[in-house]
Amino acid sequence: MNQTNVKGIKSGMVHGRKSAVEWIFDSLNLILILLAFAVFLYPFWNQLVLSFNVGTDAAKGGIYFWPRKFSLDNYTYVLGVTHFFRSVLYSILRVVVGTFGNLFCCGLLGYVLAQKSFSGSRFMRTVTVLSMYIPIGLIPIYVLYSNLKLLDSFTVYWLPGLITGWNVLMITSFVESQPVALFESARLDGASELTVFTRIVFPICKPVFAALAIITAVNHWNSWFDVLVYNPSGNFDTLQMVLQRLLIKADIAKDLMNQNNNPESYKLLTPITIRAATTMIVTIPIAAVYPFFQRYFVGGLSLGAVKG
Amino acid sequence: MKPKKTKPIKPASSRKRQFLRERQFWFISIVALAFLLVFYFVPMLGNYMAFINYKPRKGILESDFVGLEFFQKFFSLPDVWNVLRNTLVMGTINITIGFVAPIVLALMLNELRLMKVKKVVQTVSYLPHFVSWVVVASIARSLFATDGVVNELLVKAGALEKPYGFLSTGGTYWVFISILNLWKTVGWGSIIYMSAIAGVDHELYEAGAVDGVGRWGRIRHIILPGISTTIIMLFILGAGGIINGGFEQHLLLGNATTREYYETIDTYVYAYGLEMGQYSFATAVSLLKGIISITLVIITNALSRRFSDSSVF
Repeated sequence: MNQTNVKGIKSGMVHGRKSAVEWIFDSLNLILILLAFAVFLYPFWNQLVLSFNVGTDAAKGGIYFWPRKFSLDNYTYVLGVTHFFRSVLYSILRVVVGTFGNLFCCGLLGYVLAQKSFSGSRFMRTVTVLSMYIPIGLIPIYVLYSNLKLLDSFTVYWLPGLITGWNVLMITSFVESQPVALFESARLDGASELTVFTRIVFPICKPVFAALAIITAVNHWNSWFDVLVYNPSGNFDTLQMVLQRLLIKADIAKDLMNQNNNPESYKLLTPITIRAATTMIVTIPIAAVYPFFQRYFVGGLSLGAVKG
Repeated sequence: MKPKKTKPIKPASSRKRQFLRERQFWFISIVALAFLLVFYFVPMLGNYMAFINYKPRKGILESDFVGLEFFQKFFSLPDVWNVLRNTLVMGTINITIGFVAPIVLALMLNELRLMKVKKVVQTVSYLPHFVSWVVVASIARSLFATDGVVNELLVKAGALEKPYGFLSTGGTYWVFISILNLWKTVGWGSIIYMSAIAGVDHELYEAGAVDGVGRWGRIRHIILPGISTTIIMLFILGAGGIINGGFEQHLLLGNATTREYYETIDTYVYAYGLEMGQYSFATAVSLLKGIISITLVIITNALSRRFSDSSVF
């Protein structure tokens, strides 16, 4: 049915010759789209090019599409920043622990809320929705974390984010759309709810879990404000924080001038090219991963839209 | 053997039996409830700090009760009007221009006949959403610096006589930051509209073609009416954003020369609360915002229930 519709339209277009107006419409649209494409992509390309260029040379300007004086020094400088590898480790660790923890907890709770026969489901659903809308200020949270001794710890990255209302409700609405008999038969076989969740719910809900996983993981990878506020000591700095420090502080320039033990070539570096290299290091992992999750998050968002 | 006599089921025992049957669900629920209490509802009670003169050493219970003093203080400070103005102006830009742009992008992409190009452009348009504000700020500082690419090109093209201080001119800060906001959100925002457009009945297209409706007419008379429910719904849901004038972008890109134009309620709370340690005052300001925010949610939810038969709760 759909097939014939599509064919019908296409043949319709082939028959009547494209009018001049149509032609202008299409060309104009294409030009604008390509312009938008350039606007989305070029800033990243520009940073990539700068990150591979000698800093002092880049400062003269005129570098648009390709490095003029190629150099890897920006990258070696960034890799040499104090605790760089530790920050990479913390970034990866928080993505892994935070995402798995969140999906497991939200999944389990989402599954429970989807049980229409469970007498507590309505109450728990209300509590979950409330948690999404009650006003919680920055300061009360800060004081709470400080009282719970969560400040200056790795725990603060993943623990408070274990249950997030939106993720719970997305999973609930997905589980609800599945036939109840699926879970009932497993229960009759004596499986515990945890087993039902891991063996049955999780596999059939893979699309929604994949969508939530990429969104949650990217959020963890990108977080920097909680690092700034809850880990002021700097002992648990993540990669984003390294970039933020390079961005905010004018330290690099001083560092470049002062350190006598730097290689000679480092004298040619500038904050702009060093930041470009850091930006690339932070961006490339995401850019390499998200296109493969596209159909999941597109599907997930559309589901959210349909469900309202 | 005689069949065992079953006891008549009393309400109490049936309730007990139900609880036993549901014990695993209850266990999970209670653990989740405890978690939500600690991390969501306790901080909500923490808003009480707005009504006392909180001193960390004294704790919440020992600190002096001051009533509405901090709320009055907020409105008596000269900053307040700037802060409210900036928040509302940038919030309004976000829910108007920032709202229309994804619809336009989705419509344009939908009219594109080259499927490969469409796919690539879509994918690339999501990238800004997936990077952090730190990355966006870093790129923006490089591109829009006085010796950055943008200024270089504008001067070469003759549009500017000398490089323009995008980052240091207060008067154009709103425009500058709104362009960045748009760049970061437009692609992601178009996803929902793309799927709504895909849901428009294709038979209508054919009927339109028979009636001689052109491309432009198809957008106006078939597609836009077809996705109007989605548009209204998302507008209602997003209308509360008027109170969100932005936070991270201002912390990263704002500076002393633009403070008059970037300071929003959120940056104000951060500056007073965590940078200057005025916990109670900052809590009062953020509570004020929270109350306005939740009122907007309730109003928009009621509107959405009335006009589109769907509501969040």
